[in-house]
Amino acid sequence: MDTTPTITATEARLLLDRADRLSRSAHDATRWPYITFILALGVATSMGTFAMALTTGDGFGLAYFATLAVMFSLIIFFMLSIQGRSAFSHSRRWTGYIASWFVTYAAAISVVIWAHGEVVPAAITSGLILVVAFVSAAREARA
Amino acid sequence: MTATEQHPRHRLDELLQNPVRFSIVAALDRAGTLGFKEVRDAVEVTDSALSKQVSSLESAGYVAVGKSFAGKMPRTSLTLTRQGRAAWKAHLATLREIAGEPGR
Repeated sequence: MDTTPTITATEARLLLDRADRLSRSAHDATRWPYITFILALGVATSMGTFAMALTTGDGFGLAYFATLAVMFSLIIFFMLSIQGRSAFSHSRRWTGYIASWFVTYAAAISVVIWAHGEVVPAAITSGLILVVAFVSAAREARA
Repeated sequence: MTATEQHPRHRLDELLQNPVRFSIVAALDRAGTLGFKEVRDAVEVTDSALSKQVSSLESAGYVAVGKSFAGKMPRTSLTLTRQGRAAWKAHLATLREIAGEPGR
């Protein structure tokens, strides 16, 4: 005897709509702090490392401290805004985004230290930070 | 092959036909990983009902349950596994077939 419950086309359509709605709302409700953070971190560190690579003296000091101040402010804002919804911060996907950002940031800092004043390497590495941050944010927003 | 065996409903995942389990996996589909409370709020069930259904999904290998602590507070995270995602995609594809919209 067939015990599989029957399901009509209308019921199937309703289930598909429900799945889509639920999936979108769960994602949208929890992801905006992550998307905002990675985007802002990328813009701040990209501009900061570029400025640091091309300036000396007081200009360098200003770029250095401004970058650090913005980074710490962003981290504090991020920690506060994900309170109670921090599960994604332990996920492989988020770790991948942060690791990608860190690799490009480390490259940009290397240029600041070992190739100070050279425009092309500074533009490439700082640009890469921006690209990685934009790609990560876009990927998460479209997930 | 009989007419009964040919109907796409026989390919629906039995585990995902439960409404709560269906909703849990739907909530995790885009997000990938969510906290227990986030899933509870999205699915709108009690902690115990969610816990029971998550255990079934975990036993089937569809969902991975992670435990951590924030200070002294325990935190549980739910992640849709590769196996769970594959089962979910197949389930949705079958539903689309039944709905008559295979390319949706």
